[in-house]
Amino acid sequence: MPELKTELRNNIEQLLNDQAVDVVIAFKKADLPLRPQPAFFRNVEELEDLEYNGLCQNNLANYLTRYPHDTKIGIVVRGCESRSVNALIVEKQHPRENLYMIGVPCQGILDIRKIINKTGEDITDYSEDGDQVSVIFKGNEIKLQRSDLLHDSCLRCVHPNPVNADVLLGDPLPEGDPTIVRQAIEEFEALDRDERYAWFQKEAERCIRCYACREACPMCYCTECFVDHTTPRWTESDISQAGTQAWHIIRAFHQAGRCTSCGACERACPMDIKMTYLTDKLNKDMLEVYQFEAGMDDNTPPPFASFNLDDKNRFVI
Amino acid sequence: METRPKIALFQCKWCLYSEPDQNWVDNELPSSMHLVKLPCTGRINPLYILNAVQGGADGIVISGCLPEKCHYKEGNLRALRQHDEFLNFLDYIGYERSRVRFVWLDLQDRGRIQKELADFKSEIAKLGKAKVLATRSKVSPGGQYA
Repeated sequence: MPELKTELRNNIEQLLNDQAVDVVIAFKKADLPLRPQPAFFRNVEELEDLEYNGLCQNNLANYLTRYPHDTKIGIVVRGCESRSVNALIVEKQHPRENLYMIGVPCQGILDIRKIINKTGEDITDYSEDGDQVSVIFKGNEIKLQRSDLLHDSCLRCVHPNPVNADVLLGDPLPEGDPTIVRQAIEEFEALDRDERYAWFQKEAERCIRCYACREACPMCYCTECFVDHTTPRWTESDISQAGTQAWHIIRAFHQAGRCTSCGACERACPMDIKMTYLTDKLNKDMLEVYQFEAGMDDNTPPPFASFNLDDKNRFVI
Repeated sequence: METRPKIALFQCKWCLYSEPDQNWVDNELPSSMHLVKLPCTGRINPLYILNAVQGGADGIVISGCLPEKCHYKEGNLRALRQHDEFLNFLDYIGYERSRVRFVWLDLQDRGRIQKELADFKSEIAKLGKAKVLATRSKVSPGGQYA
């Protein structure tokens, strides 16, 4: 996507030259070809390193909460990121007027693990052109199909286009199919109770409690997480079964009505633990019961932050 | 030997309007039931329920006031939203939803809490001991607040 990158660069250059923003959050090239990293551009000269491709794994909305409210931030957003930004605006983590969202329609993030499985660890270069991805592995060029490498949560993506972006670069993409994610959850629900618990146990017991999922998540911005409390101690903080299960349950439940299914938690996990089957279920329930989808606008509060007297019909007496 | 089911009772301190009922819950609760008294059902964090489940409670009763009768106006409405979804979620990962019962009490419900608890106890006795999610180690990890 060289044209998109040039367009992005020109846009950011203009923003910084006009002093419309103090800082632009985007991606830059890193030492490893498969790992572009988040970058914070304050000068035009730094833009040499700007990168944008399918390997940009992080959700950039994560860095929004780390700035004071009066900082004018420009941020490059894909579909899920723009919704995360909107959800953060609803929760008053940054005022909308001090934000400039540069929207990029997202064709999906590639899963590094899938690439490495197809080739090997020692990849020295990476480039992409449309649906084709080519990597240099031990001096040989290997061509791969982009659709085979998409991350699982991007395969289920419903809103690839940025919501409420100030400027949209590139052409909007067709909306995704919401039945795919629903089907996956219904398949899991159809399983036997013991099978469901066995699956959950198997996933949770691998957890090493590194909290990479928490650090990668834009909605996990509490200054002190419940697992870090010592007085009182809510859960066991070691890798005991009770501790890891409590972490996975409560982490997911804290995202109810706030998660935008970006999959950053799964991509960050060093143990390759599946987590989106938990948050997707909560998202599905929020949509069915409260007709709410996180981040689709910047003023509707999430269902658990509000209440409605109509709920009283659901009280079972 | 058949062990009695352990039941945790989360009670909103305003929901028992008649004094004999409150006295019974405070002083004469069977030893297999554990009382957690809270200012409102809205004060119940999902973590409290999870802690009870993980700590080996076979059943959980949450008793609160009816909608629009909440002492804090809206606490029970928020509680309903959260706990309803939390129990759906626990059900999704394999916990039996029938192990948790909500009791919404009205002004004229004298003596209802005793009946509900007895009824719930016999229901839980039929279900047997909770196997799912009861994972907390029995040995205290130590420390002042453990």
